[in-house]
Amino acid sequence: MNAVQYLWLVPLLPLLGAVLLIVAGRNMSKPIIASIGAGSVGLSALTVIVIGVAFLSNPDVYEISVWQWIAVGNLTPSIELHLDALSLMFIFVITFVGFLIHLYSVEFMGEDSGYARFFACLNLFVCSMLLLVLAGNLVLLYLGWEGVGLCSYLLIGFWYEDPKNGYAARKAFIITRVGDTAMLIGLFLLFATFNSLDIETILSAAPSRWEQGSSIATVAALLLLGGAAGKSAQLPLQNWLPDAMAGPTPVSALIHAATMVTAGVYLIARMNVLFELSPVAMTTVGVVGAVTLLIAGFSAMTQTDLKRVLAYSTISQIGYMFLALGVGAWSAAIFHFFTHAFFKALLFLGAGAIIEALHHEHNIFRMGGLRKQLPIVFITFLAGAASLAALPLVTSGFYSKDMILWYAWAGEKGSGLLFIAGLVGALVTALYTTRLVIVTFFGYANTRVSKRPGWRMTMPLGVLAALSVVVGFLEVPHNFWHAQLISGFLGGVLPAAVIDSGIEAYEWALQLLAAVVTLGGIFIGYFVYMATPGLHELVKKKFPTLHQLMYDGWGFDALYTLLFVKPVTWLARASRGDVIDGIYTGIAWVAIAANRAIATTQNGVMRWYVLGIVVGALLIITLGILV
Amino acid sequence: MSRADIIFLLPHLMLTLGAVLVMMAIAVRRNHFAVYVLTCLTLIVALYFLPKTASLPHNVGVLFVVDGLGVFNTMIIMLAALAVALMSYAYFDTREERTGEYYMLFILATFGACIMVISGHFVSFFLGLEILSVSLYGMIAYLRKRERSDEAGIKYLILAAFSSAFLLFGMALIYAATGDMTFEGLSGYFSAFDELPILVMTGVGLVVVGAGFKLSVVPFHMWTPDVYEGAPAPVAAFISTISKGATMVLLVRFFLAIDGFRFPVVLTIFTVISIASMVVGNILALRQQNVKRILAYSSIAHFGYLLVAFIAADELGVEAVNFYLVAYFATMLGAFGVVTVLSHPERDAELLDDYRGLLWSRPALATVFVVTLLSLAGIPLTAGFVAKFYLLASGISTNQWLLVILLVVNSIVGLFYYIRIVAVMFDSAEEREARPAGYVGNFATLLILVVLLVWFGVSPQGLIDVIRNLVGVG
Repeated sequence: MNAVQYLWLVPLLPLLGAVLLIVAGRNMSKPIIASIGAGSVGLSALTVIVIGVAFLSNPDVYEISVWQWIAVGNLTPSIELHLDALSLMFIFVITFVGFLIHLYSVEFMGEDSGYARFFACLNLFVCSMLLLVLAGNLVLLYLGWEGVGLCSYLLIGFWYEDPKNGYAARKAFIITRVGDTAMLIGLFLLFATFNSLDIETILSAAPSRWEQGSSIATVAALLLLGGAAGKSAQLPLQNWLPDAMAGPTPVSALIHAATMVTAGVYLIARMNVLFELSPVAMTTVGVVGAVTLLIAGFSAMTQTDLKRVLAYSTISQIGYMFLALGVGAWSAAIFHFFTHAFFKALLFLGAGAIIEALHHEHNIFRMGGLRKQLPIVFITFLAGAASLAALPLVTSGFYSKDMILWYAWAGEKGSGLLFIAGLVGALVTALYTTRLVIVTFFGYANTRVSKRPGWRMTMPLGVLAALSVVVGFLEVPHNFWHAQLISGFLGGVLPAAVIDSGIEAYEWALQLLAAVVTLGGIFIGYFVYMATPGLHELVKKKFPTLHQLMYDGWGFDALYTLLFVKPVTWLARASRGDVIDGIYTGIAWVAIAANRAIATTQNGVMRWYVLGIVVGALLIITLGILV
Repeated sequence: MSRADIIFLLPHLMLTLGAVLVMMAIAVRRNHFAVYVLTCLTLIVALYFLPKTASLPHNVGVLFVVDGLGVFNTMIIMLAALAVALMSYAYFDTREERTGEYYMLFILATFGACIMVISGHFVSFFLGLEILSVSLYGMIAYLRKRERSDEAGIKYLILAAFSSAFLLFGMALIYAATGDMTFEGLSGYFSAFDELPILVMTGVGLVVVGAGFKLSVVPFHMWTPDVYEGAPAPVAAFISTISKGATMVLLVRFFLAIDGFRFPVVLTIFTVISIASMVVGNILALRQQNVKRILAYSSIAHFGYLLVAFIAADELGVEAVNFYLVAYFATMLGAFGVVTVLSHPERDAELLDDYRGLLWSRPALATVFVVTLLSLAGIPLTAGFVAKFYLLASGISTNQWLLVILLVVNSIVGLFYYIRIVAVMFDSAEEREARPAGYVGNFATLLILVVLLVWFGVSPQGLIDVIRNLVGVG
């Protein structure tokens, strides 16, 4: 078992950090808070590295029993951690990127009065997220699932004095709850069928229990997809994520880009056997991903708030992951999660540094010219942006996105439409990324830089920038040279994608096409925003309705307000003094009345007490004679 | 009595020796600390001499049965007594000049309780009970200058004597009908019947009355709040744990021996008592403002719950009773320990207002109280939850659905008044006078109790195994 048996330390350390900060954070000095907050996650990351090394020398599936509560009758609730290649990749990203973001926050949040609260929530989030991906059964997974939801809520509304932030937090919480409810029903369905919520048990029993394509398998998979869509901000539950940017920027980087929002991807990949059983569910996953990546990509083109651009881009990139899951390219989805975690965290952290440097200015059109003023931020941001735009050959984003496009086209479950959606998405991505970089870093300096980031902010940027480039080379296409580390690594856990026969020979054509599309997108961006000044204003004026529609995220907010929010608030108002309440107040009233009646017997008079005993004795004797 | 018999009774003999030594020490010179240390040493030595499990069971004449059930509960009682002794020192040190006699009564009361849990004969049953009761009269009224002290003592004296008469008469009736007073002999007599003769049934009923008074189950409960309120806090802790626990174990032994639950009459009687205790105990506590009275009502309700497992009376039921007693002992001792620590020399900290804002003024103590209250309410990850879960399991395994459902409903009602105390402690703090300095013994006891409560809640399997090995029926 070697080092792997210390796996329980990984979630425990951040938990201890959180508990310590919640209990005693009020009285701690900032350096101590920072060392507990960042230190616990750092130690956890070190543990993961040690475990990872041990794991690589002996890859296997490890079940580590942490705690068994009681054994009364046939009930034996216990906590088991499950480590395989898939969860190892996730815990590596969570702890490693998590640590870098904690480190960044030490400086970023330095002036904030809620310092301890911030790190407590962030630590708790890391712990919950680790539990989510390490859970051996769905109950523990659900605990982590709700834990990250709670932390997300707390951190979006971190600056709670502003009611807008509270609103955003509630919106995120309620919309993801919709998905969670679907998922919970799915869990009940699984439990009813398999009489267990252990993931291994379900996955090994499902193929023999449910026929390929049976409707109950479809229902179960779609219910899980509901939960995944809520958490991962996919259609139709995607509209909470842009508002979630109300939280501090490190939170956006860690929770709303790198880790939590990919929980849905993890869930579907983990339960892949269930989805493989239902072609309908697989297609749905793919279509959801394709549509989401397009609408979010178009919205990203029109945003003016730096963080909202990145938020829409996150939705769009997770759409790519869903697309990959939908065509059965499991490893490709996880690979894209892996590269995306690095470059998107990097972009958010860079955005945070910019916003901080410009007196909390969010509008990119009031930025500009930052290339010279913030050189480190510029270079690292450029690395992240290139990766996001999938600049051919040198960036990780290229390799992971290329893999997805390849399977969307060539995979057995792929289709032309999904492939075209992915290709159009690539064009759009390159376009809005170029727009973002040009508007922010080039041209006139509209706002003066007031403060430059220190080493604790630039160091994570540098590390993440390096990784954004390097991790791509872990998995390069078949026709380049042989280095399929990621899919080889995940091979034992996730099924390999099947591709149509005879199509491999055309892989280079696809790569060329993807590269041309990306470069085309970059060129259009350059042409519109740099080479011909004023052109983008012209385009905007030409199609005002379309622009407004994209800017508002395709009107989903308005639609949901009309369809759900208004009726529900109306119902709530209509049933203000409702009958249901009457039951509960009635119970309370009866209890109080009974209390008044019986309390008169406790009058302190001893004759009365003696009477009680005599009456009791008489009752018992009477019972004895009668019964 | 053979040499072996004496070895098996050594723990009990040590207690009597301790009582004599304390008496002699007081006669020579009054020194509170010396007497206190002597008391603790007595208990520790007695614990040391507990028989080894391998040699069990052993009958000492016809009077005593030293078996797993007896030894386990002797141990629990002595440990609880040790905790009460540790609390008592701090309590009486600040309140009373003549403290020595308290410890003598205290050791004797513990001795009585320890006799009860190993008795296998009506004579030892009654003698144990009376040694316990007579010592308690003195202990309850020990702080003579207090307002309600005498009242509580007299009330307990009269009512206990009254109910003892019932008990004795019940025993006499049974003896008249069967000509036997050993549980073993009665077991043979009872197994011959499918339906009990009225004389015997009346006898059993009157024994239940006598025991019911000690357990303070409805309708024999009315003395409980008055006595808890008037008695010093450590004595209230003693009554609510040791006195009740010993009686419960004795009842388990008696009814297992006669296989009482074969008879529907007995089942009906205990079902009615159980339901009445749960409902009345919880409802009376609802609007109560006095913390000691709340704990009294809570203990009434808890023995109603406990009877669910008692009625089950199978292997799981006996396990459940023992586990429940351990959890209940630790919880009640913790709760009364907090009351003890917070009490002023003039009056005990018994009003809800005494606890307002406690979480801010004395966070550690408040945390202890919160844990004990959560355990009383049966919130998961405390010993109280596992204990209650055990009761439910044994109730369900014997299909006592009515009792099980009422247990759940009453647990919800109970939540209200436990959580209300917690809420009061969360209130904003008001300025209050400095509190007397604490005693190390108190804090160590509370710390250990809280650790146990959480430990048995998080990882109860160890304790369950111990109980299973020792107490397992058959």
